[in-house]
Amino acid sequence: MQDSDTIAVSPDVVAREVSGEMVLLDLESGMYFGLDAVGAFVWAKLAERAHTFGDLVDGVAAEYDAPRDRIETDLHALFADLSEKGLVVTGAEAA
Amino acid sequence: MGINEPCNNASSTSGGFVIDWSLATARVQEAMPDAPYDRWVSPAGVVMAEFYRSGDDFVVRFPGQADFTLRPDKTPGGFDVIAHLAPDCAEDAVRTLVNNAITPIIGNYHGGKFLHGSAVAISDITGAEDAGIAFLGLSRSGKTTLAGAFAKAGHPFVTEDVIDIDLHDRVYRLHPKPSGLRLFADSAQHLIGNNPRFEDRDRKQEVAAGAALPFARAPVPLRHIYILGPDHDAQLAIRRLSSSEALAAILPHAFILDVEDRSRLRAHFMRMADLTQTIACHTLDYRRDYAELPAVIEAILASFSAD
Repeated sequence: MQDSDTIAVSPDVVAREVSGEMVLLDLESGMYFGLDAVGAFVWAKLAERAHTFGDLVDGVAAEYDAPRDRIETDLHALFADLSEKGLVVTGAEAA
Repeated sequence: MGINEPCNNASSTSGGFVIDWSLATARVQEAMPDAPYDRWVSPAGVVMAEFYRSGDDFVVRFPGQADFTLRPDKTPGGFDVIAHLAPDCAEDAVRTLVNNAITPIIGNYHGGKFLHGSAVAISDITGAEDAGIAFLGLSRSGKTTLAGAFAKAGHPFVTEDVIDIDLHDRVYRLHPKPSGLRLFADSAQHLIGNNPRFEDRDRKQEVAAGAALPFARAPVPLRHIYILGPDHDAQLAIRRLSSSEALAAILPHAFILDVEDRSRLRAHFMRMADLTQTIACHTLDYRRDYAELPAVIEAILASFSAD
């Protein structure tokens, strides 16, 4: 994923923050998923509007004390997982 | 498939939520023209219920037992409920399905918080009012037997199959649903001990529990939810869940009529999220052995007191 790639939440997903974590319900499949605190932080930003991958990395770096390359790796994995499950849309779909 | 004139009318109440339903003449469960849009399947793979659309109606089929037609009436979200017994199915089975399936399905459709499980009222823990604890789990996970063991130890049943929760003055309450107890033969023998006659030891049967297993008479505040683990040989263990874990854990135990109605699904999700942010939820693992039940009760009461 490139810094300039746009990511947006899927319109089929409803999310609820509970005690600092996020639970996602995919209305299409009926499956639900949990996000930890960092995932919840990122999801909350995406819920406001679509962001580029680079924006999200910057946001996490500003919020959490972790090396940028570690953040990039973790977010790559996170969005690969979320995209595979249909919970986020990327690229042209997200614009 | 036609609808015969209803020949009987009845009501089923739950926490003030009333279902009016009518019993039409029995008929064969003919094949439906379309595939079901949803199914309830037991852990053993048995289809317990199938959900169909028929024009504006919903049809809920319990194979071998009854079909329920839910026909929208004039009230927003309201239904006329018409039950057709399958041939050779006893009328009592229909009443059980109305109480334990149709009522909570429609209740949640209307914004309720019905869950599949059992509950008991615990008294004298903190010296305060009675407190309710609920047990959720898959079919045949031991919910009713565990609740029965509590009742036998002096903590009355609130409900044995359908948990009816309301929010009253910002307190979640469990509503009593007194009923005959539906138990498997071995559980009935353990809890009641009068060796009731069972026609089929692989099916639950309603048994007269009498004073041995009392029911609560008034709503009690809900304090804890315990979700029974699937391993029937597990060591006894109780783990407190985070709110997010609890939300994911209780969602499968709700009653949903229309899994394709996104606005209702969304609203139901939010109601359950509110619940899990307030009510402590735990996983509960234990060996399904009647001899273990006293230790399980003791552990639950200890976890209850600790929170």
